[in-house]
Amino acid sequence: MDKIKSIGWIIIVISAVAILYALIFNPAAWIVYAISLIFIPLFILSLGLISMAQGKKEDDEDKTKEPFIGY
Amino acid sequence: MNLMADILLNVTIAFLVGSVLFGIQRKVMARIQLRPGPPIIQHLLHTMKFFIKETVFPKTAAMPFYVVITVILCAIWVAAVIVGPVTQGPLLLLFAIFAIHKIVEHNAGSSSGSPYGKLSCVRAVFSAAAELPLFAVLIIIFLQTGTMQLSTIVAYQAEHGALIFTLPLAAMMFIALIISKSYYYSPLNITLAKDIVSGFETEHFGMLRGFIMISEAITWYMLLWVFLTVFFGALSPLMYLIGMVILTALIGAVNALTPILNPNHSVMTEITLAFIGIVGSIIMMFYI
Repeated sequence: MDKIKSIGWIIIVISAVAILYALIFNPAAWIVYAISLIFIPLFILSLGLISMAQGKKEDDEDKTKEPFIGY
Repeated sequence: MNLMADILLNVTIAFLVGSVLFGIQRKVMARIQLRPGPPIIQHLLHTMKFFIKETVFPKTAAMPFYVVITVILCAIWVAAVIVGPVTQGPLLLLFAIFAIHKIVEHNAGSSSGSPYGKLSCVRAVFSAAAELPLFAVLIIIFLQTGTMQLSTIVAYQAEHGALIFTLPLAAMMFIALIISKSYYYSPLNITLAKDIVSGFETEHFGMLRGFIMISEAITWYMLLWVFLTVFFGALSPLMYLIGMVILTALIGAVNALTPILNPNHSVMTEITLAFIGIVGSIIMMFYI
């Protein structure tokens, strides 16, 4: 598993735990606001990091080294 | 209801309704231009599609800011949902959120390293000079109702009638502001104008674009929600939905029938509308 996917899994677990904590234990309002502002966006971002497709390793060189010939 | 559940429910509703409203806007624009147009759920489909597309982070991007800025964009509009439908808190906070949105546009453009993004970043500063005076509509509402609290503004309207009838010019200012934030071929939205491809979003593609599209849908829902709440008072969920569909269709018609203005004309149009709105509203309040 590559680095980006691993980061995605770590963030999704942390955000899910934080959101579930706020859902189950109903802490003070300011804690819920802080959890919402930080972990809802991070949860969505981590979903993206996990679900996004990644190019083949052998295409990497073409993408970075090849001069741009699109014009 | 549990506060977290309330926030999650409102954010989900904002995203889903906002996405469908974008679809309606594109449909209205297409029908005016005698095209069949995309399906109404197109924005939703695009959002999901981008999440599974290949994402490459450009070499020129300022990492990690290039990624973090999309998180900030989402966070500020989650904050707007909390201040709006969840707590009916102070309107001034929504003004602050809107001001931060302009900063996010600026930074998303500059972090990408794309020349189109950088041009959009400059335009974000330029347009803020025009859009923030339009947001001065809040001062007029304060002068009329004596409060900045959304819940009290709603209570004021229950007693004195909808503000749209007493402050029509302020409502016009707010509509101009919504048009300036409209995403599809708006005459006033110079940061996303098609002459600079997709503006500050140009280099954010793949799942980052999908993430931005979620935030855009929430933004659109919130702008319409604030307009309806501030100018019509307490509405049932169905009336909110009808109001949002009508406003979106109207703005779709405006976008379909107007040219995309260049930055100078756009800013001058907004400043003129802001001037007419502020001065006209004050004259109406104190002399009529």
